Amino acid sequence: MKPVLVVGGGPAGLEAARGLADLGYATILVEKNDFLGGKPIEEHYSVFTPDQRDAQTAMQDMIDAVTNRDEIDIRLNTTVVAADGDAPNIMVTLKGKVDEEVVEVSSVILATGFKHFDPGKETQMYGYYEFDDVITLVDAEKMLKEKKFVRPSTGEAPKQVCFIQCVGSRDRQIGNQWCSKVCCGIASQEALEIRQLLPDCRVFVFYIDLRAYGFWEDDVYWKAQEKYHVNFIRGIVTEVTKRGDQVVVKGEDTTLGRPMEIPMDVVVLSVGMEPSEGTTAMSKIFNLPLEHHGYIETTGGCLNTVSTPRDGIFVAGAAAGPADLEDSVSMGGAAAMKAASFVRKAEAQPA
Amino acid sequence: MTLKTMVRKEKENKISYVEKDSAIIDGIDVSGHWNKMYQPREISNFDVGPLEELRALAGAESIGNCYQCAQCIGVCPVDNVGDYGPRKIYRKLQMGISLFDSADLWQCTTCMNCLRVCPKEVNMIEIMPAAREKAILDGKEVPAELQEMFQNCAEYGNPMGESPRKRARWAKKADVEVKDLSKNPESVDVLWFVGDYYAYHGRGNDAANAMARVLTRLGVNFGTLGAEERCDGDSQRLAGEKGLFEMLAEHNIEKFNSLEFNKMVVSGPHAYNAIKNEYPKMGGSYDVDHYTQFLSSMMDKLKPLMTREFKKKVTFHDPCYLGRHNGEYEAPRTLLNAIPGIEFTEMFRNKEQGYCCGGGGGGMWLDGFMADNINERLSENRVKEAISVGAEVLAVCCPYEVSRFEDAVKSTGNEGKLQVLDIIEIIDQCIE
Repeated sequence: MKPVLVVGGGPAGLEAARGLADLGYATILVEKNDFLGGKPIEEHYSVFTPDQRDAQTAMQDMIDAVTNRDEIDIRLNTTVVAADGDAPNIMVTLKGKVDEEVVEVSSVILATGFKHFDPGKETQMYGYYEFDDVITLVDAEKMLKEKKFVRPSTGEAPKQVCFIQCVGSRDRQIGNQWCSKVCCGIASQEALEIRQLLPDCRVFVFYIDLRAYGFWEDDVYWKAQEKYHVNFIRGIVTEVTKRGDQVVVKGEDTTLGRPMEIPMDVVVLSVGMEPSEGTTAMSKIFNLPLEHHGYIETTGGCLNTVSTPRDGIFVAGAAAGPADLEDSVSMGGAAAMKAASFVRKAEAQPA
Repeated sequence: MTLKTMVRKEKENKISYVEKDSAIIDGIDVSGHWNKMYQPREISNFDVGPLEELRALAGAESIGNCYQCAQCIGVCPVDNVGDYGPRKIYRKLQMGISLFDSADLWQCTTCMNCLRVCPKEVNMIEIMPAAREKAILDGKEVPAELQEMFQNCAEYGNPMGESPRKRARWAKKADVEVKDLSKNPESVDVLWFVGDYYAYHGRGNDAANAMARVLTRLGVNFGTLGAEERCDGDSQRLAGEKGLFEMLAEHNIEKFNSLEFNKMVVSGPHAYNAIKNEYPKMGGSYDVDHYTQFLSSMMDKLKPLMTREFKKKVTFHDPCYLGRHNGEYEAPRTLLNAIPGIEFTEMFRNKEQGYCCGGGGGGMWLDGFMADNINERLSENRVKEAISVGAEVLAVCCPYEVSRFEDAVKSTGNEGKLQVLDIIEIIDQCIE
């Protein structure tokens, strides 16, 4: 039996590989980094939203579930550089640190994920590259993982911090018209953690609409507001300027209908998701169309989240569009099931 | 200050102003500099100290839950005629404006319409008394008329400042016997808690007399606390005088407990709320009915007595403390629908959605203060609604309301167009 190829060792890819292995299918798991775990590990996530499990521990459980298994051939430091033929007979070229190797696979699951929006590309002037005290959700996450939160410019504890939502999302000028789904919840969660660490620090979240969907509403957003006294102000910040040793956020407080110009010690930009380089590259290598936002296209609309227009090639997680961990892991499982079905049917047919 | 210094100060302090080229308000042209509004438009910081201070108060925690959906504003009776509402209070607190120093502190009538619709259960019914109590204890300025009422209650046991000895005087003029159990304690079936307005107010006396006659015709064995009755204290509690409430309640409970009776019947929804929901916390638990509930439970006896027709178009104002606070909407309607000859019409805002008369939560004693904050009294707004549905009679069953609405009928220039009657007065008129 030819193996199934899973590209990407993040939450979606790990779950897909585990699922295939559990079903008894040989799997090659390819990961470009020298570690598994994807963005939560790569970007030093502190705790998961909304369940607040330690990200490192939770991902380690997923990694352990694919490690040292006969069914799974894990290839770290490896990328897919070429693919030829149709499933169930695809010749794939894997490029490791030194060598290239061609393997024949029966089916492919692409779980190449997203990248965070680069705030240098914003049309607003948020000054991420100009001001030390303007950071992103990712930068904040890294500090929170170390159980600290300081002003990068001084190393001291801030007294006033704000989050600016929808940075790089919901923006026609930038070209990212989608809502990145998780940032409202993540910002609320980070704000809550800052309040836990620094009870004297005032924390504000400036938002257009607070999109804490499902259980994130009360488990994260309400909790941040009610229990940890995070202040949510409706009205997005237009620009950030520097005044003295503080950064000043300018925008409108829309429930008061007045402009605001508020000094902050730290500004956190809630950067959204974009298709990762890997996702874009895989679409070319496997000749897969992109949907109009630039993510890998799926067929069947909302009722089939993992099948691509090419038989036997599936997608899981944020490679197909903004996704939270629930989405990614669920899609990983669904893709594994569909890939297994595809291979099983293909094997049952006479050659 | 000369104009020159004003301009200089403006420049120094970066004070800006708004000026509308054309503005006509209530028919008055206030275009140009007449409407010049100085304000630093820009918010230069959020000082959440006042928000933290308020939510730290026992009972006021839920103020911090507001997420600005603004559903409260849609139903707040005060915002309807002014610029006040729970979600706005929250924003002001975030802006550094303390509720304790703000006119907002005294504007809430505790009508409970906001809590009814609030998805986050921001509970102004608990927030307001807690905040007001703190303001009073901290020596903040309390509106003079409210302060006077508190003093009257503390000294005389009633908001009017009438002599306690005169409380039972109305009964002497009644044409039926009203047992004064404070003088002649005897076991009765019903202890009737008469209340301040029935006892002391001229129009309240009319209702009290009507009640005495109706109860007598129904063959109810009833008595009152006579001169020993004190104000129920509920509005005082909600206006921030918890201590005063406790003093009044303790007195009443002691008197109640010294008597033998099966049931208590109260004239007013505020007393009903106090005795039903607050007195039990202080050791006074009673089987208590608002009079509309008591009478509607004996319709088989009451109906045959009402032989005289009352051929009028009548509408009904739901008292907040009978309706929203205690869920009773049907009892008054049962009585009104049993009136022979009546043509009953609902107002647009009725039952759960009923509009507040403005008298609750201390509002009864804040008319002067409120005049500076609203463009018409809540009672005036309500009277206009009653007239708009074609009513000739506005029926009420809260002792605060007859005087409030009668004043509003006059002040809105509708004298002679709308009569305000307590339901008990209508029933009494129908009994020959």
